[in-house]
Amino acid sequence: MGEAIVITSGKGGVGKTTTTANLGTALALQNKKVCLIDTDIGLRNLDVILGLENRIIYDLVDTVEGRCKIQQALVKDKRFDDLLFLLPAAQTSDKNAVTPQQMKTLVEELKLDFDYVLIDCPAGIEQGYKNAVAGADRAIVVTTPEISAVRDADRIIGLLEQEEIEPPKLIINRIRPQLMKNGDSMDVNEITTHLSIDLLGIIPDDEQVIRSSNKGEPIVMEPSTQAAIAYRNIVRRILGESVPLMSLENEHKGVFAKIKALFAK
Amino acid sequence: MKHLTTKQLVLIKGTKEGLVLQLDDQCAYSDLLDELKRKVTEDGLEGQAEVTIHVGNRYCCQEQLKEILHIVQQSKHLKVSKIKSDVITVEECNQKLLKSQSATYIGIVRSGQEIRAEGDLVVIGDVNPNGKVVAGGSIYVMGRLKGIAHAGAQGNRDCVIAASWLEATHLKIADLMELMTNEVTILAEKPEMECAYIHSNGQIAIDRLQDLRILRPNLSTFKGGS
Repeated sequence: MGEAIVITSGKGGVGKTTTTANLGTALALQNKKVCLIDTDIGLRNLDVILGLENRIIYDLVDTVEGRCKIQQALVKDKRFDDLLFLLPAAQTSDKNAVTPQQMKTLVEELKLDFDYVLIDCPAGIEQGYKNAVAGADRAIVVTTPEISAVRDADRIIGLLEQEEIEPPKLIINRIRPQLMKNGDSMDVNEITTHLSIDLLGIIPDDEQVIRSSNKGEPIVMEPSTQAAIAYRNIVRRILGESVPLMSLENEHKGVFAKIKALFAK
Repeated sequence: MKHLTTKQLVLIKGTKEGLVLQLDDQCAYSDLLDELKRKVTEDGLEGQAEVTIHVGNRYCCQEQLKEILHIVQQSKHLKVSKIKSDVITVEECNQKLLKSQSATYIGIVRSGQEIRAEGDLVVIGDVNPNGKVVAGGSIYVMGRLKGIAHAGAQGNRDCVIAASWLEATHLKIADLMELMTNEVTILAEKPEMECAYIHSNGQIAIDRLQDLRILRPNLSTFKGGS
């Protein structure tokens, strides 16, 4: 029996879909069988980020309404043999095409076959959110260091705490160390004390993430980047390992600067 | 004949506060009404006097109180100022209890959430921005108050809002509201251990928590000790 994790944020554009794609890919790299569900009906894009757009035949609404079997709608990612699957959202219906009860049944069924079911939640707190949360056992809240994103995260955490699921965990995305250092944005500590939930990981802002999303290859597949390491660390934490938070200092400093930093302490 | 019985069912007494109509609480209600009708139409009364009706230990429903009031008001000489009773229903008693009790909420009041209490409210945890706490009495937050607080929601202007960290965006006490914008001068640099109250100048002011014993000594319900 697998586990269903919903990835949500309240605010749009903080990186829910990118996070879902990367966590899913990283879990598959750890030999876990993963199914990603895009619940953003009408505005799907998890398929694009995974580079699976062209292989969609059936979608979530088709499955729920019984036009196809679940297995027919699942899109297999050929880069990982039989480990990573996507259940894409419908593009032609809207969020009311599915009910929370239907989602719950669907997720329960998928959990029998998969180790992890990651549910990509749409922005907002309406029907789409309710659908996404319905079948979840755990929740991950994604935020950025912007105040508006943190406010919305607070709201969503409040709503999640009323559901019968485990206490949500936090991912802070798009961290720009320089801004934090100068006090121009909230720092990691401030955000976690404000929201008072456990921190699952932090991900630095990286141009490479945008580049790889546009190519349809999640960043975790290029392990040299900081963002990839950050996502892989989060997955190791999800799997129960204890991994220290990554340092936000720029690692491409010269040898001399490193020695200097040592003495500066 | 009833009116010859020795016990009077309706007593008219003069007190410092004016006349009191003391109604017997043991006799039958219908007998009481008869006697009352007779008493208020007696010729002995003159001028116009304010009168308090005291129904004693008899429980009268609203209809009955209206009936009594109606009878007394038929007399040109009596003007009813209020009706007193020694009994209240269990429901009314519970309501009063609720208002005098303090409710405790342990947790974080997050954005979009609202916590309400009839009496005092103690929050152990933070009140985050856009979170709201409302109380009929005072509000005490052991944690950071960063959202909206409304004390004395039923109009009690003596209520206060106290917090370990008072950084609210909106403070409301009774019918007064203060927006905690940067222009407000009452904001402290370090908003630790503070309380907001209605100052005698009619505006919301903020002071040290320790000053509460001077500002609102009546809020203390503690008796005894030395």
